[in-house]
Amino acid sequence: MSALLQLTDVNRSFGGVHAVDDVSLEIKEGTIFGLIGPNGAGKTTLVNLVTGYIRPQSGSIRLLTQSHPPPHAGEGRAAAVELARRPPHAVAGLGVARTFQTLRLYRNLTAIENVLAGMHLRRRDDTLQQLIPIPALLKEDRRRLKQARELLARVGLPPDSFGDRRAATLSYGDQRRLEVARALALNPHLLILDEPAAGMNPAEKDRVRALIQQLNQDGLTVLLIDHDMRLVMSVCHHIAVLNFGRKIADGPPATVSQDPTVITAYLGSQAQKTAAHVPGSEEMDVAATSTTVAAEPASPLLDVRDLQVSYGAIQAVRGVSFGVGKGEIVALIGANGAGKSTILNSLSGVLRPHSGVARFGELDLTTAPPDRIVRQGLVQVPEGREILARLTVRENLELGAWGRRDGRSAHRDIEGLMEQFPILGQRRDLLAGQLSGGEQQILAIARGLLAQPKLLLLDEPSLGLAPQMVDTVFEVIQRIHNDGVTILLVEQNALRALEIADRAYVVETGRILLSGTGAALRRNPEVQKAYLGG
Amino acid sequence: MDFFVQLFTNPVGFYNSHELLIAQMGINAILAIAIFVTFYSGQLTLANAGFMAIGAYTTVIMNIYLPTPLPLDMLAGALLAGAVSVLVGLPVLRLRGVFLAIATIGFVEALRLGVILNIPITGEGQGLKNPTPDPLGGIVPILISVPILTYMVWRLTHTRLGQAWAAIREDELAASSNGINVPVYKMIAFIISAILAGYAGALETHINFFIDPLEYSVTRTIQILTFAVVGGTTNVIGPIVGAVFLTSLPEIVRQFAAYRDVVNGVILILVIIFRPQGIVGRGGLAIIAPRWWTRWRTRERPAAAH
Repeated sequence: MSALLQLTDVNRSFGGVHAVDDVSLEIKEGTIFGLIGPNGAGKTTLVNLVTGYIRPQSGSIRLLTQSHPPPHAGEGRAAAVELARRPPHAVAGLGVARTFQTLRLYRNLTAIENVLAGMHLRRRDDTLQQLIPIPALLKEDRRRLKQARELLARVGLPPDSFGDRRAATLSYGDQRRLEVARALALNPHLLILDEPAAGMNPAEKDRVRALIQQLNQDGLTVLLIDHDMRLVMSVCHHIAVLNFGRKIADGPPATVSQDPTVITAYLGSQAQKTAAHVPGSEEMDVAATSTTVAAEPASPLLDVRDLQVSYGAIQAVRGVSFGVGKGEIVALIGANGAGKSTILNSLSGVLRPHSGVARFGELDLTTAPPDRIVRQGLVQVPEGREILARLTVRENLELGAWGRRDGRSAHRDIEGLMEQFPILGQRRDLLAGQLSGGEQQILAIARGLLAQPKLLLLDEPSLGLAPQMVDTVFEVIQRIHNDGVTILLVEQNALRALEIADRAYVVETGRILLSGTGAALRRNPEVQKAYLGG
Repeated sequence: MDFFVQLFTNPVGFYNSHELLIAQMGINAILAIAIFVTFYSGQLTLANAGFMAIGAYTTVIMNIYLPTPLPLDMLAGALLAGAVSVLVGLPVLRLRGVFLAIATIGFVEALRLGVILNIPITGEGQGLKNPTPDPLGGIVPILISVPILTYMVWRLTHTRLGQAWAAIREDELAASSNGINVPVYKMIAFIISAILAGYAGALETHINFFIDPLEYSVTRTIQILTFAVVGGTTNVIGPIVGAVFLTSLPEIVRQFAAYRDVVNGVILILVIIFRPQGIVGRGGLAIIAPRWWTRWRTRERPAAAH
């Protein structure tokens, strides 16, 4: 097997952040190549570099198409073509098709029209024929329509029932499938799937797996990016792992999933330290966790029973129950797309659950308006921080106290926070957008504190932060907790979260898989499985 | 109501007494087709009044100074508008949404204040007298052009070009992943739109005695925009219906005399509130389409592949 795509020392940084740092890869023709890595590892940036949406600052990206001529004749007869610095449409013309992590369908066109638009490069210019649309001249139209219907059928969308529906009206899973059909319409050499199974339930994921395998058997080379390790490990022939823009491992699935650096990248920087510190004690602890379901508090501050949340057709949270007692730190951990953020958003009133109970003291969180929830003391620090980049640090904090009526003491609190967090005090007149990611996170937490929370919901506070900044953020969380604030924490960095959590719940595809004390779960191999598959 | 009574009981008399109105409807319909083309490719450009001015002035100036036949003058006006659109489009089409709208308005004003009012051949602020005005004969090419252009643009939306425009309108990033050269296709739409606007400007001079630079200001551009907004932009019929409706509205509400502008405005607001997708929305004339028509359009179709 010869290489189809070759990346050599590809570099791309945004501002000071190395999104893709000296990455070299080789994708062999006819294989399924998996690209994995934690959030913010640079996977999508890499796809955007290959497909021409972003230009690399150095390095080469070469497509080697010896076996058959490119689908769009005329360009790139040569054996190896440099993709870097070509615009996206030219890369597509060389036979590289892609889907998008955030769906990018032509929402107001029908399913058939979406696929037909994907055939752009295979359609000759027909402006004059269409001017006199007599049947003999439109044979091409019918042939294309037939092919489009075949493609829809191939990805599992029967054209008779789906062809004429507007893309926006399809269910989430069907939209993902339609995107694959549209990409296939290009007749590509290489198909890049960016999280094709994101947000799907296990049955839908099985269908995606079958489709990928089928396409590969028909001779297509696939580059697959996904967070679902079970999917990636089971279909891919070869896997590369990215972390902070660097390739940290590369090999067949069996080797990669055992690689200690990969486990560290996924479970957090403390994985190995933890393993080293408690030699021999793992098995005993496993026994302990599997018998003790988490000791739930008798009269919880936050009580959630059988919560169910859906986004249109896709159910993100499927019957989740848990409680948070006063003074606890409780963590929800689990892989991307497990439904953790959805749970938090439905507690803070941003989303409405479609069934279940969520009580915060006397307040019914399923119906209370968000501003009332905040005033009662349940405050969320959202994922991605959502600070106001064009206001100064001080102005951001002042807005955090906006809902309070005690102007003077709010002012004192702002001053107090600036003293407590010198990182903010020293930068009070700087624009928040100029802060580093970790400083922004601390600003977001401080802003949350100004609403005087009894319960603080923290959504991925370590997202996209460098390791030492993660330490700082976790110190801050610990400090807030010591000051008497109850904390519900959602984290991908499981081991760090388990270290500070009193209790934790492992969430997988919208359900709670495991629960226990932080210390016990930390040593539980099931946790590792939930992250890395197995 | 006299307007409709006469329209239905005495069409010939209606035609004779409303010739100028009908000519203006036709010109506005062509302008509506012009803005539809850019809308269809997802571009909010408001340069049409400028391209109209180029078409109009070129036609009249050629008519005054050159012995060429009038149709050739008009063609030259339309093509010159197309040529200028390439120069305008190169820098401006990188912009999107409201920024593109502002930049194209800038072009309209720069053309009028900077060029037309400053070069002697255009008559500067005084305007130009049309040496061969023909209010009655001029209506003929207009009435012939409207159906032909409507048909051509309607068919254009079915071509490879039209399909690429629709894809760009829906999602530019996705369109480029399908191999569509987004800047080129946007430029083609911009040029076609400019040629149509230039042609409308040329036709308009033919029925007028005089061209006035004030005719080609931003106000005109906004008026063209309302044709598209009120009529709807899902297909080419929408802006045309909008143009015909809005052109005849002042006549229809003539009996309200002093309150004419008020009634005019209220009707516009009502349309925008109750038909935000335009008079001709998705699936045709939704208000007046009979049930069987809707049912027939959405019927279960046998597999078209065979």
